[in-house]
Amino acid sequence: MSTRELRTLLDDAICPPIEGAPAVEHYVAPHSIDQAAGILRSATDHESAVLFWGGGTNQGQGYPVPADIVMSTHRINSVVAWEPEDLTVVVEAGVKIADLESMLAEKGQTAVLPETPGVATVGGAVAAGASGWRRLRYGPTRDRVLELILATGDGRVVRSGGRLVKNVTGYDLPRLATGSYGSLGLIGQVCLKLWPLGARFSGVPVEDAAVARSTVFRPLAIIESEAGVMVYLAGTPEEIDAQAAALGSSPVDTPRWPRPLVTPWQLTIRVPAGLTIAALDRVRSVSGARFRAAHGTGEVLMGLVDLSFDWLNETRSWAESNGGALVVTQRPVASEGPDPWGSPPASLPLQEKVKAAFDPLGISNPGRMPGGL
Amino acid sequence: MALVDDLRALLGDQRVKWEPLELRIYGRDAGIGQGMPVAVVLPETTAEVAECVLIARECDVPIVARGAGTGLAGGAMPTEPALVIALTRMDRLHNVDAEGLTAWVGPGMINLELSEKVAGLGLHFAPDPSSQAACTIGGNVGTNAGGPHCLADGTTVAHILGLEMVTVDGDVLTLGGAAPDPLGLDLRAVVVGSEGTLGIVTRVLVKLTPDAPAVQTMLIAFDTIEDAAATVSGIIAEGIVPAALEIMDQPMVRAVENFVKADLPVHAAAVLLAEVTGHPSAAEAEARLVASTATANGATHVRVAADNAERALLWKARKSAFGAVAQAAPDYYLHDTVVPRTRLVDVMSKIYEIGARYNLHMLNVFHAGDGNLHPLVAFDARDEGVLADVTDAAREMVLVSLEAGGSLSGEHGIGLEKRDFMGQVYGPVDLDAQARLRQAFDPQGRLNPDKILPAGSRCYDYGVTLDRGEAL
Repeated sequence: MSTRELRTLLDDAICPPIEGAPAVEHYVAPHSIDQAAGILRSATDHESAVLFWGGGTNQGQGYPVPADIVMSTHRINSVVAWEPEDLTVVVEAGVKIADLESMLAEKGQTAVLPETPGVATVGGAVAAGASGWRRLRYGPTRDRVLELILATGDGRVVRSGGRLVKNVTGYDLPRLATGSYGSLGLIGQVCLKLWPLGARFSGVPVEDAAVARSTVFRPLAIIESEAGVMVYLAGTPEEIDAQAAALGSSPVDTPRWPRPLVTPWQLTIRVPAGLTIAALDRVRSVSGARFRAAHGTGEVLMGLVDLSFDWLNETRSWAESNGGALVVTQRPVASEGPDPWGSPPASLPLQEKVKAAFDPLGISNPGRMPGGL
Repeated sequence: MALVDDLRALLGDQRVKWEPLELRIYGRDAGIGQGMPVAVVLPETTAEVAECVLIARECDVPIVARGAGTGLAGGAMPTEPALVIALTRMDRLHNVDAEGLTAWVGPGMINLELSEKVAGLGLHFAPDPSSQAACTIGGNVGTNAGGPHCLADGTTVAHILGLEMVTVDGDVLTLGGAAPDPLGLDLRAVVVGSEGTLGIVTRVLVKLTPDAPAVQTMLIAFDTIEDAAATVSGIIAEGIVPAALEIMDQPMVRAVENFVKADLPVHAAAVLLAEVTGHPSAAEAEARLVASTATANGATHVRVAADNAERALLWKARKSAFGAVAQAAPDYYLHDTVVPRTRLVDVMSKIYEIGARYNLHMLNVFHAGDGNLHPLVAFDARDEGVLADVTDAAREMVLVSLEAGGSLSGEHGIGLEKRDFMGQVYGPVDLDAQARLRQAFDPQGRLNPDKILPAGSRCYDYGVTLDRGEAL
């Protein structure tokens, strides 16, 4: 493709600079997945690096991308199909999570995406592999991505999976692309598996998370923060009353989910579920730390104004030695500081080959992931 | 032969098979094809698997990994002279993390044995294929196996947190892990269901699921299969996802009753086996809802299992379906397509029509909750022309499922059986992408060649990659 052709392609997609995005030469917002693929194809021809942008929610994660082009998904934003009786929905990447969930809630359904999404998009959550608090009951977001359309780094439009709740037809590219942070290409459209919201949604405040975990059956979440421990339940009214009684507490209807952290530094400790309390104890040893511990899933979010790199390094090596990680998810603007991911996985050379199968010249969100993938 | 000599030097005579009769046994799975390996090995450690991989490479022989061989799609059947690595001896439970609800197990461990071993902790392994008394965890990983309880719990991939794998180069890699969201691309997810084409899984980190405090199992009889299917849709529309929703048609109920004697309603046109689990009050409330939905949709009888023994009997009946068929005919062909739940009735009626047109003895049992159909054709391969009819009917059944927006397989895998249908589901660009992924793991196609992807999948030329000479 000539530079002139590229210009023509870009002209139709060009958009004003995107707030929060880095300063680059071109901001584009393609009108379709095919157009996005065309731009990626020419970006590959020109070896121009492309940074993908949804709501910007997870852009603080990972290494900065040395981008020439920022590609926003805000014009690829249709709800393509919703089959309430099949418990599936098909949406384009730019659909906002909040809009999708409020639509689904009208028929008592949910895509189990993050509960306090702000302006986050479905595509962004899938690309970052972001799961909400309810993963304790419903598993990670990755387990609900049934079909996926990817505009690969070199401009192919690849469909994988299917609009079915159960399917083993070919390699599981939808799960591979979930959490791939744009390293394979632009996630243009997904089919998501839905769950019923349940007749009633309640929170039960308790004293002890460990006791709660061994007492309740199939809670949505058990979250501990500075405010205390809350067990979140969904189901029939009878079930919720009985489970609350077993916990020795009273249910509160339509409880709030924990507010997102807003501190300049934000970290996530990920450890095997049995070590959640040990991770939380480490977090609590830091004065002034804000935290949200997801008991039973092994994830503790931490918010700080000042970060001790010594504490981080020590806690990171503890987490890594237990098969986990400590990830820096947000840092102050222009801060020098610790590696966002920590040690890359041993499978990095194989991951590089897999990336190359989709993005041979490495123009698709290059360098963002662990190990600079 | 150098291959056999080297393998015998590594493993001794007992754990290498090269006699034709033994090779024949390991040359097939539970499907209808027969292949012929050049040798079979029974390694007991990851290091031995890696050595076998290197020896096979040295001798330029492809590799087929296998478990118990209960697969139905030909995934474990060599299509050319290959080394078969049988992982059944790697069957240890390595360690259980009762707090974190995980365990590392060998790929050769039997599915049911895993659940039995952790039962004392109040835990189980959720995927429960009907073959669970014989199939291995490694085989479950290879096919991304399912089972009746996948409806609420998800298929095998949702229960595999990590894998240890020997690559085609003989390296040992660990993918995934017990902590949430392991860093980097989720290669674990593509290895699950890859039928041994991306690597040889030598250890599996499984998620264990707490047993439900209460279970209610119901057997519901209907005068028509449409009423049974409408009940399934009605239950989902009520906003609950039961643990299992299984339908059997009359021919299957009769075959099973003859085999198991579970006092099944043999005069009903269709039977729905429904199970709800949860907190005792939740299970009771949901069981009432299931029963009232069934009654509203024309159920003629609702039987609630009174105790664990009766519940076990009902499940035994369901899971004996394929064994029961063996009484009716020496051979069977079991399908595994999936359709959107809302298209069940429509597709089933077309499948009955196909069965009738070919004059086949067809029995049906299916995972109605997730639209996973299992028409089963019982036949005697010695009858002239019958195999051709069975195969032609199979093709038509697959096509009507695809026309309804369905897919080739819900839980058995693609293997050889469905491979040449892949082009009906995906376009050339989609298949090419899958082929490129496979090449990233196995550039020469030495691991379980000819499976999953049809020949020529990696044929699409793209200026960008191929013009620059960077094609793999």
